Amino acid sequence: MAREVNWERNHDPVGIWNGRGKAVLIGRGHSPTDRRWDGETLEKSLGAYMMIAVQNALDDVGIGLDDVDGIIGSAGGQGNGAPLSDVWGPRPYFDAPYDSEDGLTHVTGQWLRQQMGFKNLRYINNHGDPVWNLIGQAAQAIADGRAETVVVTYPNGNLPGRYHQDPSNEARGPAVWPNTWGWGLSGQGFTFNQYCQKYGTNHDRMAPFVVQERKNGLLWEHSYYAQHEPGEFTEEDYLNGRMIARDLSIFDCDRPVLAAAAYVMTTAAKAQDMKQKPVYILDHTESQFTPRSLVQTIDDTEEWTDIQAQRSYNGSGLKPEDIDVFAPYDGFAVFTQYYIEAFGWRGVKRGEAHDFYAGDISLKGPNPLNSGGGNMGTGRMRTVFITDPLEQLQGRAGDRQITTKAEVAVTHGVLPITAGTVVMSTSPD
Amino acid sequence: MAILLSFDIDGTLELGDPPGGVTTEMVRKAHEVGFIIGSCSDKPLSVQRKIWEDMELTPAFVSAKHQLGKVKRENPADAYYHMGDRDTDYLAAKDNDFGFWWAHEAAEQPWLEFDMNNHEQIPISPM
Amino acid sequence: MARPIVPVPDPVSQPFWDACNEGKLIVQYCSICDRRQYPPEATCRDCGFDFHLSWQETSGRAKIVGYSITYDSRLVQWHPLQPFLNVIVALEEDPVINFHTNLIDDFGTNLTEEPDIPIGATCEVQFVEAAPGRMIPEWKIVK
Ligand SMILES: [Zn+2]
Repeated sequence: MAREVNWERNHDPVGIWNGRGKAVLIGRGHSPTDRRWDGETLEKSLGAYMMIAVQNALDDVGIGLDDVDGIIGSAGGQGNGAPLSDVWGPRPYFDAPYDSEDGLTHVTGQWLRQQMGFKNLRYINNHGDPVWNLIGQAAQAIADGRAETVVVTYPNGNLPGRYHQDPSNEARGPAVWPNTWGWGLSGQGFTFNQYCQKYGTNHDRMAPFVVQERKNGLLWEHSYYAQHEPGEFTEEDYLNGRMIARDLSIFDCDRPVLAAAAYVMTTAAKAQDMKQKPVYILDHTESQFTPRSLVQTIDDTEEWTDIQAQRSYNGSGLKPEDIDVFAPYDGFAVFTQYYIEAFGWRGVKRGEAHDFYAGDISLKGPNPLNSGGGNMGTGRMRTVFITDPLEQLQGRAGDRQITTKAEVAVTHGVLPITAGTVVMSTSPD
Repeated sequence: MAILLSFDIDGTLELGDPPGGVTTEMVRKAHEVGFIIGSCSDKPLSVQRKIWEDMELTPAFVSAKHQLGKVKRENPADAYYHMGDRDTDYLAAKDNDFGFWWAHEAAEQPWLEFDMNNHEQIPISPM
Repeated sequence: MARPIVPVPDPVSQPFWDACNEGKLIVQYCSICDRRQYPPEATCRDCGFDFHLSWQETSGRAKIVGYSITYDSRLVQWHPLQPFLNVIVALEEDPVINFHTNLIDDFGTNLTEEPDIPIGATCEVQFVEAAPGRMIPEWKIVK
């Protein structure tokens, strides 16, 4: 089984994608969403939840395990296979199949094949990237004929204890450069502060955006908040958020959760026999940058996101006004304006996003931004950025269904420094 | 005398996420004994209010964790205590001259030992 | 004053830290790309090789670009010093190159109010002892 590397469309000019309209995103499946694993209950482990999500995705489109010939996933949710949360070891592991990180903080395609009994897989890739890149990779594999029906898997773990705390009094490797001076999430706040200085805006002007995302998220059944904290989140709540770093409050940070999602992707031809409406992948593009020096500045950020947006438009042949459903990432809420402005969605130019937030971005209004609620409205799953555009285009978003046209969607994430963009449409051309 | 107890929620109260060792019964008892009670937590204020409703208690205040100083200004008392499970709880208490208990210490209800007629603020110990 | 977290050099960064111990601020320089590079890496980020990479001394002068304040770090060793100041300075002769600093003699910790940081002010490097035998660069505003 050949393992694919360098499949990305990341060299300009990318040109119109030769796989346009050949691959289809059609089904989705989710597990329950918990705050964290309890460290004991194996049927609530990340591996168990990943299996639930895969089965739900297959059921969603009415196919069986034997119809699947590819699994493309991110074992840990992050690039290079790293886990979104921490790892379980060096604590003792459990009996097989939970006798390693696989199934607890990572879930590989091979583990799923063994546990679920897939028989016809000819393509497995745990290359490991955020979910946008996985959809892009699966679309590429299908367009290239490497697989016909692929399950894309995205597990997000969260373990007991404080998230990503580092008790060390020494710094090694790349951590030397930030940690010696106590730098961390201050970086997100710093870049955002530069943005505010540059355009004469301020942190409080984020409130309408985050409040709207929380509202939208409550309408998505898989949202952490819908399941566990269904109360209203108000501007008062946002404005009273404790600052983690200057210009970055606790309500700008997504809440780590435990959840898994799976997607069924297939060829345009095979999609005709499945239960849901096909949503065609018109394009996928990817990018990765490095800061010019130590700290990512607003100049770096705007340059990178401009390249990302332009690359996507070049790859799809679309213009900003063609995008009906727009889902720019918000894993820190202070990212999102960079993307909106770079893509120029609804005509928003550099420095105008906070004015845009102050207008009508409600679900049933003219500019339904992040109709799924983003990570702020759902928890740190990222998968709403695939599921919501899919459901909007299929017309099955329920209470979240936007009232404006929903024929073309663009979803984009994860960071300004490394991102994937997926363009989907109800039509193959 | 008036003595104020500020409860962190997550990792401190049993209704928190994760649950802590301070039970709803302990909070109710503190209220009955006559302490001024409320919460200072990272949870949104609206969610904190809901948690007090669930406990069927009326708090004197709900506050974001970093606004302990405001709680002090708005609630005159002879002594102030905060309890929580995180360094941010400790630092918020320290910055505002509150006494402090870590969540596991709070679960022992140290306030029940207080003489409600003659109590002197116990200062915070070093981190 | 001891620092909460002490850097441990590796083969790539060793010359940088050695220079700090000698009171010099050096950065990498790729002669074929004509660009400075900080933090140090095994290869040049532009051409991708180490063929033309060497070390170059800097003026040690920089300008304040902006700052942040950390209230709740994931770095546990820094917790007792919260909130603390994080300033970004850009090298005077090459503003693309930026550095972290905590800026002031007491490294701007346990702040009681938001400090008045003069954006654009010129700073000079000074080396402070993070741990015995381990000097790190810090910046001080030139009055
Ligand atoms: Zn070079």
